[in-house]
Amino acid sequence: MKRFYLWAVATSIAIAGCSGQVSETGETTGMHDSPGEDNVQVAFVTNNASDFWKIAKAGTEKAQQDFDVEVLFRIPANGTAQEQQQILEDLVARGVDGIAISPNDPQNWTGVLNQFAAEVPIVTQDSDAPESDRACYIGTNNYDAGVAAGELIKKSLPAGGKIMLFVGTLDAQNAQDRKKGIEDTLADTNIEIVDTRTDDVDRSRAVANVEDAIVTHPDLAGLVGLWSYNGPAIIQGAKSSNKLGEIAIIAFDEEDDVLQGIIDGHVAGTIVQQPYEFGYQSVKLLKELAAGDTSNVPESKQIFVPVKTITAETVEQFWADLKKLRGAQ
Amino acid sequence: MRKALGLSVILAALVAAICVWQQTQEGRIAFLSSYNLRNQLTWVGLFGILSLGQALVIITGGIDLSVGSVVALVGITCAMILDAGAGVFIAVPVALLVATGIGALNGTLITKLRIQPFVVTLCGLFVVRGVSRLLTGDASEGFGLGHEKLLWFGSGAVGIIPVPFIILLLFSAVVAAFLHFSPVGRHLFALGANEEAARFSGIRTGQLTLAAYMLCGLLTGIAGLLFAFKVQSMTPSDFGSFYELYAIAGAVLGGCSLRGGTGNVLAVIIAVTLIVVIKNMVNLLAIASQWEYIVIGSVILSGVVIDELFTRRQARVAAGAH
Repeated sequence: MKRFYLWAVATSIAIAGCSGQVSETGETTGMHDSPGEDNVQVAFVTNNASDFWKIAKAGTEKAQQDFDVEVLFRIPANGTAQEQQQILEDLVARGVDGIAISPNDPQNWTGVLNQFAAEVPIVTQDSDAPESDRACYIGTNNYDAGVAAGELIKKSLPAGGKIMLFVGTLDAQNAQDRKKGIEDTLADTNIEIVDTRTDDVDRSRAVANVEDAIVTHPDLAGLVGLWSYNGPAIIQGAKSSNKLGEIAIIAFDEEDDVLQGIIDGHVAGTIVQQPYEFGYQSVKLLKELAAGDTSNVPESKQIFVPVKTITAETVEQFWADLKKLRGAQ
Repeated sequence: MRKALGLSVILAALVAAICVWQQTQEGRIAFLSSYNLRNQLTWVGLFGILSLGQALVIITGGIDLSVGSVVALVGITCAMILDAGAGVFIAVPVALLVATGIGALNGTLITKLRIQPFVVTLCGLFVVRGVSRLLTGDASEGFGLGHEKLLWFGSGAVGIIPVPFIILLLFSAVVAAFLHFSPVGRHLFALGANEEAARFSGIRTGQLTLAAYMLCGLLTGIAGLLFAFKVQSMTPSDFGSFYELYAIAGAVLGGCSLRGGTGNVLAVIIAVTLIVVIKNMVNLLAIASQWEYIVIGSVILSGVVIDELFTRRQARVAAGAH
């Protein structure tokens, strides 16, 4: 009996001890030494585990050095709202001075975010909950991203022609905003958007949509993918229809297939967000908010990080930088 | 009882380790703040009710893998009925009826068609998840404004004790009385230990198994509603995903053998508390997120290994005594 308890105690202490060591050595953004009175500690919470957030993490690490602030980078393993809630609770209990979060479900979460905003400054990043008491939003303006795509389409199709858009679902706000930006930019040109096809985030359907589009409209001059996976889907669909290189392809985000396509010359370009800036600017703003400084929060409470247009001229440098950021731990 | 005591010792040691760590590294024990304790008791309440239901089924020698999907469907059903303008007194009973009905369906397939519980409830996991996505068209559900009283059941507290924890204590008392102090409870253990022997000694094993799955369904339904009231956002594709595994982990760590016939309500509650505290520790001590599952898995495995070694030792001692 006695030995059992000894076993039990020894094991749990060993586990707790090991985990303590992990926090010191395993994670650069973890706690290095005791946060004293003047040591500001902020947290950055993602909405899942993906390459996108590895880039953001590199930004938080740069800001950590530049502004002498400690950053806790938290990743909910399954990307659920419940995990995010538990993480926020634990961070508040820990006594962090501010939290940047990409809320999984901003529409339904106004009330929950307000509970946390009452305790500590909250910055939404990547995805905004405008109705909530969050101090500020830092992220992409998807209408502007659509305008950038529109400009790229104009440049790629100087003679005009028919184009088609592809996206997962059209009820998502970012899809609507991007589409509107493209439509407004192409309004008085000789480029006609014949249709927008949705695939409900089913990648095989996304490819089938492209193939069907090429069959239905053999004279299509351009294909535009509004969500990241639509880019690779368009490349695949155009390839199986033997149209690769004949049709202008415009994509969003930095999928490897798309970047390779730009290098190979059959993708005109892609519009990318800057998660590195989400990370860097969130940490910078949280540090200011922790000191009660709201001078950098605009009237609109929204800070838009501009998108970048990646084309054949810029792709190699961009990809090299990207690999460095993704590799950074 | 020994199990509950052993787990309490592990839990106490873990808590002590967290407190010592925070005191020496940060000069402040955030773990013991009333804010944190209240949050953790809430999660113990929510996950505890799930494990309680799962324990009933595991004691019969079965398993219910559909739990996580049922949590999602129950919350979504309730929110959709409220959205449609019907009152709480329709939404809540209907949601609970759906959960109990799924339990009844699982139980019927297992007892009448003699299909293995793992297979039946694994299919349930997929189908029920699919139903949630179909009902909502993958749109996330919430409660909007004006349901503060209802949400109180998931996130409120009486004094400093969170409501979900109180609900867990109430159900634990009922289930413990049923399992450990009633003849039907003894029959349930007998059924789990050896179904054939139980049947030959006159126990209606079919009915009893069916009842266990229905009770598990009902408890899952109650937990599902409380989860919905607490989290207030239900994404059909992932709300409640993996909860069946947490429920099973709590029950197994709490001494319910997957072979059936053993289990103790108090030990299950302490085991759930241990799992919740480990999750809390990962965030409070700022352990890299990637370590979370490794720590949880290792602690559960250590607990089970320690228990197994101890049981063997006891058996050897008993054999030597003959």
